[in-house]
Amino acid sequence: MSLLAQTTWWLPPDFSEHGWQIDRLINWLHYFMAVLFVGWGVFLAYCMTRFTWKRVSMAHYTPVKAKASKVIEVAVIIFEVILLVVFSMPVLAKYKNEPPTPADNPFEVHVVAQQFAWNIHYPGPDGIFGKRDIKFVKDATNPIGLDRDGDPNAKDDIVSNNQMPLPAGRHIIVKVTSKDVIHSFNIPMLRVKQDAVPGIEIPVWFKVKEGTTSDAIREQMARTVVVPAAGESTTAYELWCRNNLTFDEVKGADGQVVLKKGAEPGKDHLEALRAAGVKELRVGPRDPVEIHCTQLCGLTHYKMRGQVLIQSQADFDKWYEEKAKGTGDFIED
Amino acid sequence: MSHGHDHSHGSHGHDPHGHDHHEPGFLGKYVFSVDHKVIGIQYAVTSLVFLLVGFTMMLIMRWQLARPDEAVPIIGGLLARLGITNAGTRSLLPEGYNMLGAMHGTIMVFLGVVPLAVGGFGNYVMPLQIGAKDMAFPKLNMMSYWVFLAGGIVMLASFGANGGAAQSGWTSYPPLSNIALSGQTWWLVGMVLLITSSLLGSVNFITTIFHLRAKGMSLWKMPFFVWGQLVTAFLLLLAFPPLEAAGVLQLMDRVADTSFFMPAGLYVGDKPVTSWTGGGNPLLWQHLFWFLAHPEVYVLILPAMGIVGEVLANNTRKPLWGYKTLVYSIIFLGFMSFIVWAHHMYMTGMGTAISTFFQATTMIISIPSVIILTCFIISLYGARIRYNTPMLFAISFLPMFAIGGLTGLPLGLAAADIHLHDTYYVIGHFHYVVAPGTIFALFAGIYHWFPKATGRRMNEFLGKLHFWPSLIGMNMIFGPMFFVGIAGVQRRLWTQVDYNLGQLTQSWVVFSSVGAAVLGLAQIPFIINFFSTALAGRKVTQNPWDATTLEWAAPSPPPHGNFLTEPVVYCGPYEYSVPGKKSDFCPQCQPMEA
Repeated sequence: MSLLAQTTWWLPPDFSEHGWQIDRLINWLHYFMAVLFVGWGVFLAYCMTRFTWKRVSMAHYTPVKAKASKVIEVAVIIFEVILLVVFSMPVLAKYKNEPPTPADNPFEVHVVAQQFAWNIHYPGPDGIFGKRDIKFVKDATNPIGLDRDGDPNAKDDIVSNNQMPLPAGRHIIVKVTSKDVIHSFNIPMLRVKQDAVPGIEIPVWFKVKEGTTSDAIREQMARTVVVPAAGESTTAYELWCRNNLTFDEVKGADGQVVLKKGAEPGKDHLEALRAAGVKELRVGPRDPVEIHCTQLCGLTHYKMRGQVLIQSQADFDKWYEEKAKGTGDFIED
Repeated sequence: MSHGHDHSHGSHGHDPHGHDHHEPGFLGKYVFSVDHKVIGIQYAVTSLVFLLVGFTMMLIMRWQLARPDEAVPIIGGLLARLGITNAGTRSLLPEGYNMLGAMHGTIMVFLGVVPLAVGGFGNYVMPLQIGAKDMAFPKLNMMSYWVFLAGGIVMLASFGANGGAAQSGWTSYPPLSNIALSGQTWWLVGMVLLITSSLLGSVNFITTIFHLRAKGMSLWKMPFFVWGQLVTAFLLLLAFPPLEAAGVLQLMDRVADTSFFMPAGLYVGDKPVTSWTGGGNPLLWQHLFWFLAHPEVYVLILPAMGIVGEVLANNTRKPLWGYKTLVYSIIFLGFMSFIVWAHHMYMTGMGTAISTFFQATTMIISIPSVIILTCFIISLYGARIRYNTPMLFAISFLPMFAIGGLTGLPLGLAAADIHLHDTYYVIGHFHYVVAPGTIFALFAGIYHWFPKATGRRMNEFLGKLHFWPSLIGMNMIFGPMFFVGIAGVQRRLWTQVDYNLGQLTQSWVVFSSVGAAVLGLAQIPFIINFFSTALAGRKVTQNPWDATTLEWAAPSPPPHGNFLTEPVVYCGPYEYSVPGKKSDFCPQCQPMEA
């Protein structure tokens, strides 16, 4: 049961500026669906219990004059039109048709997907992306084929593997493409999804809410994990510890530190935790905002996972400057 | 009709082979038969076997999802020989998971549900319901079955191909499918055979319905089931050719290095792609594929609706409410199903003008579905409901299809789809339509027409023992998928526990897998019932359900040529509980004043 108590029942938290409109549409649709379903269900249940073989001696041949069906149909049409015209099309138009203008000072990033990693390409302080060509691709050092030697604009470019630091509170444009097969660039907690199609570069834009940081999100998603006693099943404990960090320093009764703050708990620490009499841990996800690949892309599609590191603009700038200095550096996962 | 049998042998009515002068041998009668009933049964039995195979694949996948990387029980060792499980640990390999995923989808759709609904029920019931002696082209009919079987064998044999069966999903999106191992080539060859079979069948169905109806059987006197089959046949005829073409193009991309779907400048693994010159577009495949695959959804659902209509009318003992509205609705559904396909592609970078069009058509197509469901439910009002096994399956189709249909709405609106596209929400949605929806309707059909095909009625107790756990199991499997999907977990993952959102919903995944086991166990009474009834079930009269439509005017099982005397149709298909009549049903082949 502890498993069920930890389970998510609805939408994951959203840290984008546009996401609430998507969530609102999803919520309203489900209210509407629930009303229709319950309405049908109640009528169905009534008929099923009222008109049984025993309670009725002869069925009615003449069809009932049911105005209800017309009313339902018209109501459904009206509601769907409203949802479509008022709540879906404008959201989508903003999402697809109105990119941030130069006045918005957007920050542009390129994403080049490959089996099975996300290559994040930043233009560096000059703001200009260096040229990419597959003839320069070297798997270990230059996965996107950046022309480091020939193109001066490429000198300060930053390429990162699966790690995607982004500033909060600034318009972001991500141009998504792929080196090999079709992937789909999805950040559920920013309500962003765009297929990465080889041969085509497709832009998608969003803005992380001002003031958001990955650290704060980790706090928000924190949960308490019960340490199983000896002899109890460890399945749930191991599941909840996966990719999670401890929030506090965990000390035993004798004052000995069992887990440092920010350590990754797991099976290895179980004995020590039990010995120290620790009953529960407070943990949060190591990488709270993840990039999913939502399009089947091959063998290890299931672990094509990236991490968005949301920072303040100041922290982001610091990281950006530092990385850009190390010309040619490739940031490992 | 090419085979002019003599049907004036009324007194020998119960001898199924009567005065057949050129009595065919065993092979001709049961194997290479041109009789629509034998072909129908061949289709039905073959597709039931494939449904079981596809279901078993799903059980293996659900095991892996609930217990990641643990040894697959019982058949883990056997699967290692096919490269599906790890030879040492016997746990499901990621490539094994992808193979099973692709083949589960392909088998369930193209080898299970459609052949049972169209090849099985359509072939067996439709000619009987319109009062025909057989299909218009019996040899084409036979060929359709054998080409289908060949396609099925190729699909199954592909597990033995170098690198195993196809692993690119049932959708086979290039470039992934183009660069895949040889299993994909087998898949394409199998698909071309299956499509060819469907095309042969659809031509036959349309011709039969238009030309071989009994005297008096006007279009508006046709049972709703026949209408369902007619619209389905048109969908197959018009939607499959683009996929057949696309399949051949992909086959050429794979074996002749053409570049229909391959863009230039690809770099796969550790080297640039040089086998293809490039210049193609992978999105072209998606358009061609979904141009078939969306009508295909209605190919899956319309015959099911037809069966539900028959069973409902018969067991409510009253005319189907809004028969003409139902017919117009399915014709409209069929038409609209050709112009909604790109709602599967909102995330491909489609512009807003196009996506607005497809959102609008998608909302429009939901209207006839709402009308059909409402008509069915209103049919129960004022009824005298007989709760036998077929009726239980048919009634439960209604709320299950409702869930499946309604959950299509958030996916059809592109803004909501941004979050839900390619998540478990999609899996939950279409499975509710096809599994507790269509498959329940197919079960209803099996229980309903079993007495016609065998002269024996299936056991009611075993039937209910099949129904109730199946209903619970289905909902346990697919209900939680909506929560997993809304939480943002994507589909087609070997395991989801590496993702934060996957961890948070893993308990739902375990719950689903338990449901799959329940559903599996629930099929045991059905299998026992099926064989024990066929061999030694309770014998019944030719019309045990007191039904009105023409198939019940033929002996059970009907002889070659179907009817002992040529039927003439006097009234509509659902004249139940007509006021002033002694009996509560008036068969179509009897004048009303009787």
